[in-house]
Amino acid sequence: MEKFKALEPLKLYSSSPSTASPIRKGPVAPQFVGRLPSDLHTLILSYLPVPDFAAYARCSHATAALAESEKIWEIRWKSLKMDKELSAVLDDLEEHVRGRAAESRAAAPPTISVDDEFGDFASVDVPPDEMGDFVGAFQNPTTPISAAVWTNTSKSTSTCRAQYIRAHNLLKPLTKTLPSPPHIILNDLAAAVTSSLRLEASTLRLLSLFLSPIIQPIRKWRECKSSLRSAMDRFDANLLAAFDQADEKGDESGMREAAESSWLVWDGSGDWEMGKVWAEKREIFYDQPWDPLANFTKDRGLAFDAMDEFMSLVLKAISEHGSRAVRVFPPEAGVLISFSDRVASDVVGEYIASVLTRAREISVDIFLKATAASFREAWKMVDTIMAAGGELTSLTRAEDVVYRMFEPNMDEYLDEETEAVKPAFEEICRGWNRQTSERQNSSNADSTARFLTSQNPSQVKRNVLASFADVLLLPVTIVPKTVTAVGGALVSGGTAVGGAAAQGIAMLNPQRWGGAGGAGWGGLNATDQMEKLDTLLSLDVALELIHTSRESLKRLETFTGYPDRVGDRVRDTIEEVFILMLQALNDKHIKEGFSRATDRMTTYKPAEHEETTSVAPLLQFFELVHIGDTIQSMVQVYFDKEMAPHIDKTDFLNSVVREKKRFENSLDDSVAGGLNAGTEVLMNQVEHIIWKLTGPREYYPPDDATMELKPTKGCTEAIKCLEMHCKLLKGSTSKEVLEVFHQEVGIRLIAILQKHIKRQIISLTGGFQVISDLNAYHSFITTLKVPSITADFAHLKMLGHVYVVEDAKDLAQIVRDVTRYGGAYRPEDIYEFIQRRSDWKKIEKTVDKTMYNLSFKEDCIIC
Amino acid sequence: MVTLVTSDNEKFTADKEVAERSVLIKNMLEDVGESDQPIPLPNVSSSVLKKVLEYCEHHRGEPLPAADADTTQDDTRKRTTDISEWDQKFITVDQEMLFEIILAANYLDIKSLLDVGCKTVANMIKGKTPEEIRKLFNIVNDFTPEEEAQIKKENEWAEDR
Repeated sequence: MEKFKALEPLKLYSSSPSTASPIRKGPVAPQFVGRLPSDLHTLILSYLPVPDFAAYARCSHATAALAESEKIWEIRWKSLKMDKELSAVLDDLEEHVRGRAAESRAAAPPTISVDDEFGDFASVDVPPDEMGDFVGAFQNPTTPISAAVWTNTSKSTSTCRAQYIRAHNLLKPLTKTLPSPPHIILNDLAAAVTSSLRLEASTLRLLSLFLSPIIQPIRKWRECKSSLRSAMDRFDANLLAAFDQADEKGDESGMREAAESSWLVWDGSGDWEMGKVWAEKREIFYDQPWDPLANFTKDRGLAFDAMDEFMSLVLKAISEHGSRAVRVFPPEAGVLISFSDRVASDVVGEYIASVLTRAREISVDIFLKATAASFREAWKMVDTIMAAGGELTSLTRAEDVVYRMFEPNMDEYLDEETEAVKPAFEEICRGWNRQTSERQNSSNADSTARFLTSQNPSQVKRNVLASFADVLLLPVTIVPKTVTAVGGALVSGGTAVGGAAAQGIAMLNPQRWGGAGGAGWGGLNATDQMEKLDTLLSLDVALELIHTSRESLKRLETFTGYPDRVGDRVRDTIEEVFILMLQALNDKHIKEGFSRATDRMTTYKPAEHEETTSVAPLLQFFELVHIGDTIQSMVQVYFDKEMAPHIDKTDFLNSVVREKKRFENSLDDSVAGGLNAGTEVLMNQVEHIIWKLTGPREYYPPDDATMELKPTKGCTEAIKCLEMHCKLLKGSTSKEVLEVFHQEVGIRLIAILQKHIKRQIISLTGGFQVISDLNAYHSFITTLKVPSITADFAHLKMLGHVYVVEDAKDLAQIVRDVTRYGGAYRPEDIYEFIQRRSDWKKIEKTVDKTMYNLSFKEDCIIC
Repeated sequence: MVTLVTSDNEKFTADKEVAERSVLIKNMLEDVGESDQPIPLPNVSSSVLKKVLEYCEHHRGEPLPAADADTTQDDTRKRTTDISEWDQKFITVDQEMLFEIILAANYLDIKSLLDVGCKTVANMIKGKTPEEIRKLFNIVNDFTPEEEAQIKKENEWAEDR
């Protein structure tokens, strides 16, 4: 309650009669006139018929002032929609009245009833003078308020009230004739104004505005209005006849006059008869010598030449009749647009419907192509309409004509587009899978294949992408024709659209890049291409997928201008097609390829293979990474060139952007997973090499052996193997991935080497061999340029020194010197290593003693 | 539900939706927020409020005119002078009540009801003599005979004879 108490006074006082009331506009101060506040009086007056104002005004000074309040009359005056033409009618009427009045004074009036009225009216038709008199007479100050109001209104003839009174006085006499039959009304009216079709039409229009519920100028305005309406209809019928006559004679000015007059008397409900009738009579709706089925070639292909011809007929009709419509009809009538609308729906729409029905019968593919093509054809109407209409026609309305006409086909088309694209993608992937599995059965994995061993893989990739981008820029032929150069040869094999795509793929044939790409690509993609390689991913598949989606995208693009709901659907479908493409590429192709490659790697057993320098599945995997990377770049190019205009690239919530991210992530994951398995395999291989190639006395040579101080065979082979694989990956994956890979390799290599050393017996001379090996490993690792593992290897190198120190005490010093190894090895670790010395038994005690200042054997109580 | 208290201290309850056809009440509720407090309407008597609520109940759910006073002013004028059948029956009350309803509608800011009332009054004025109109509105004639004659002449143009 308290809340309300706080509010109450405010609300109450502000809403006390008049101030807060919704109609507080009156200039009159809020005061009660009788039982109601004055603003409510004003509201009531706005509903009061004009004839009752006389009695109301006579009630009191206050009511008299209210009856003259400008607001009431402003509404009525404005409802007459006075423009140039209509005020011309008033002027004309006035002139006639003056003429008639003079005439009637001179001679006997011919039309008695009307003239009586005029006579009557003429005496009233001098309000300014009378008012002037009145004001003068009304100087006595008994009623100061209303007097002031009166002087205000009466002095100015430009007030709405004064203007209304003038119109009222001029128009009211005309209503006298209205109860008569229509033709008499028309005759009378024609007599009242200068004889002209337009003027008569304007008079009729003005009268119909005058006899409105807003004004209620006379008691019987309703009855008058309906008989006026029938008079107007009759008038319109006459105009229609006149228009037809003019049309037959080709008399455009006659047509124009009739049309404009008819437009004036049109009551705004339903269709405007004259425009409709005129449009209906155009022969294009009757004479239809075309055959929609001519758009299909004998072998059920598409060739839209027939539609071309058909459209040129339609366009000719539109530009011929349309421009005449623009000249003849008033622009507000929009006859050009409604005519075009009719042509679009009755002629073009019908035509397209039968084309599409037939296309549908043939195949979905043809249907899709025919839809896009016929829309493209129909679109020509827009330009023609614009050309015919000039600047008065809005482009949106012209476009709407075509959009509206085509809309019924859109839902089906969009459904089909996504429906058709799905199986197409699947078919491509499945077809390729089938091929690979066949190939797999027939040929072994050839480990000698070098996919991207060419000098400069990134250069190769750039070339691929450059040509890919070129292909993307190739125009897709939406409207198939037999005569075009590209389509000509290919039409037998399908349509020009297919042809363009086929050509696009041909363009991408790697053989063409052979020169630039170097042997690696040539070797891969030449005649026997992948049969030898057994690659698990294929650029071709990616290409085909992209092309299929691009084709559908291009078709969809013809519809992107669609407004509202259909437009949204078109955009959705575009996104969906792209997403479907990514999904197919990702799930059906890349993931499978990578998982198969990873599988193969994990099952690889180095011991089973004689060849030691390369790990075949890892090589293949690296090839995959390269291909995967190329595919991703292709998708990126495709995305940038084709998708970017349709979506907001920066909108991370957009489903396309998200799907693309997912695609990239999944590719990265596949690569990472593969790399993990690959590293495993590679290092197994390296360990295998080292283990196999290191002879039993490699580091404990017989005393008579000559010292070459070259790295051992096991070492060089291992490094060769590593070097090759590390190099392969360069340029195909991101720097980060590569670094991680190298680091992993380094860390595992250290572990292998440490294990390896601990397996050996090393003499003093053999120690030099160890050092030389370690140096070789170190220098290899340095080339990888990963600082952390380079340091590790530097420390490992230092470790070699423990095998060449002769003096046991010095050795112990070295072992204890932790800083030597940068903290990488503790004395205990090094102690383990020196145990591998061939002379360990001899020096053990000395070392222990020096290191720990004790000898286990002597000092330990337990021993 | 909203509780309303009239000038004669009678309590009415109405659905929020119904009560909010009154722009005044709507604004009040908006200002105050959700509350069970009764809303005092000291300018409206119980018999009138009963009538007004009957009207609001009947027209519940219909779109309210736009809040902008200027445009609604024009809109109401554009509408016809016709009154729907139900409203016609509803507004068929004695003169006293009619004016009460109009004042209440004006105070409560119920545009459509106000229009119905004003149209009805306009219809009542139709064809009446000045003396009858004075009686209707309870207006005292403050014209001298000369003045009245002057005004009569002044407004002669409007008469429909």
